[in-house]
Amino acid sequence: MTTPPSEGEDSRSFLMGQFRADFPSRLRYTTNHMWAEALPGEAAGAPPIYRFGLTAYAVRLLQDVYFLDWVVEPQSKIARRQSLGSIESKKAESDLFAPTAGELIGLNAAVLADPSLINVDLYSAGWLLEITPEGTADLLDVDAYLNHLEQAWPLAQRTIKGQV
Amino acid sequence: MILPAIPTVLTVVVSRGQSRNPEKRGMESAITEAAAALPGVAVLDVPHLYDLKAADESIRTLRAIEGDLVVASWLFPRAAHWLLDRLDVRGQVGETAFDPEPDEDEEPAAEASEATDPRVIEMFPRSGRTIRCLDMRAADADRLNAEIRRIVEETAHGLDRSGDGQTDHASNGHAEPGNGQSREPWEGDAAQRVPLRLDETVTRRWYPVIDYSRCTNCMECIDFCLFGVYGIDGAETILVEQPDNCRKGCPACSRVCPAGAIIFPQHKAPAIAGAPVDGDEGFKIDLSLLFGAPDQTADPVAVAARERDEQLLLAGRAAVGLPDTRSRSKSKPAPPDRLDLLIDELDQAEL
Repeated sequence: MTTPPSEGEDSRSFLMGQFRADFPSRLRYTTNHMWAEALPGEAAGAPPIYRFGLTAYAVRLLQDVYFLDWVVEPQSKIARRQSLGSIESKKAESDLFAPTAGELIGLNAAVLADPSLINVDLYSAGWLLEITPEGTADLLDVDAYLNHLEQAWPLAQRTIKGQV
Repeated sequence: MILPAIPTVLTVVVSRGQSRNPEKRGMESAITEAAAALPGVAVLDVPHLYDLKAADESIRTLRAIEGDLVVASWLFPRAAHWLLDRLDVRGQVGETAFDPEPDEDEEPAAEASEATDPRVIEMFPRSGRTIRCLDMRAADADRLNAEIRRIVEETAHGLDRSGDGQTDHASNGHAEPGNGQSREPWEGDAAQRVPLRLDETVTRRWYPVIDYSRCTNCMECIDFCLFGVYGIDGAETILVEQPDNCRKGCPACSRVCPAGAIIFPQHKAPAIAGAPVDGDEGFKIDLSLLFGAPDQTADPVAVAARERDEQLLLAGRAAVGLPDTRSRSKSKPAPPDRLDLLIDELDQAEL
């Protein structure tokens, strides 16, 4: 269902039951299960723009994505955990929250038109947002994110089973 | 063999959702196909009504239809009706089997307190044809199809009984159905009838829709909105003049409307999205408060002012805070609404 990182790419993985979720080591991660990748800077000294998308962990919980909607427009300031929109999938629906504070630069129009891109190519064409973060404190490296998953997984399992 | 022409009894419009959920797509096809098989029914299959603009082919086609309409969409019926109304596809609000039962025990407090203010549709009555809106979330395909069949039979019976094709449409100066009126291929004889599917490319939109059966033309909204969404028409009636000036996700003006007439069809809160006032469908207790959302128990006007300030700051303008209290001093305190009741219930639940 989800594309594994390309051959030979350094990545770490996490077992969700029988399912192995992969996380490329080159990316940064946030605790609300988004990956972040710095875009190549246009000019030295310009504030960096990061592209954000859902991690393999989030996409596994959602499974097939049917619908995505935003309640924000680019070129606006966003607060950490501000509600930005919503997502509906085969298994779940949820609001989507800002992974970090900063300025919203862009939204992926392709994924809005065809949200299944999130399933097909989650670490590339399935990106969601571009943000210039206020700081990088929310951006974890892959090991820190895996530590977070170890703690988050029991709650996620109870949520899936309706025990919360 | 030439079959006798069956006049068009009514047109069923299916408005497709924005979601790619196969269940929703299946529901849309099931209703389109079942309706197309009914004698005397023309079927029009269009993108999501909220995203369409007046110049789109779907809307031009809808405007050309003169008879009764049954509109199936993923919107609350009230939202769908007034969305069509703003696009100049107008008629009377038709009843359906899915309308909420009137609650005998409940005091019609809101209506009593506003009784002195005439509603816009009382000043500008809509035409005699009937538009019945069905929410595809309200029931399964079988029950929706049964209701469409019932409406078609009832409407056909009404046309027969009025004799010689004389119906109340005549009072609007409309041509009689099947009476030499030129028809599109998709609304011709039942034997050759196929649903007309229109597929223009649309983008997501966000704007208010005014329910003129509630609106009293009080102008609170035009005073409140600082983004130039509202305007007035030649008859000095409020209208949504610049819908695309609206700030995505902002429902603030609907909270300041004393008549509860402003609908944001895509808002998460059913009451803002046009849910039936007395119906329980779609109402869920929103636990956002428990999860750190801003305090919603405040006066709706204060919430609206905060939301407007957020949008002003996002747009690089200065916040203005609470609205001038002078304009509201004459209005009585609102009776408890559903949100108040829900919050009382939540308090009692001791979550």
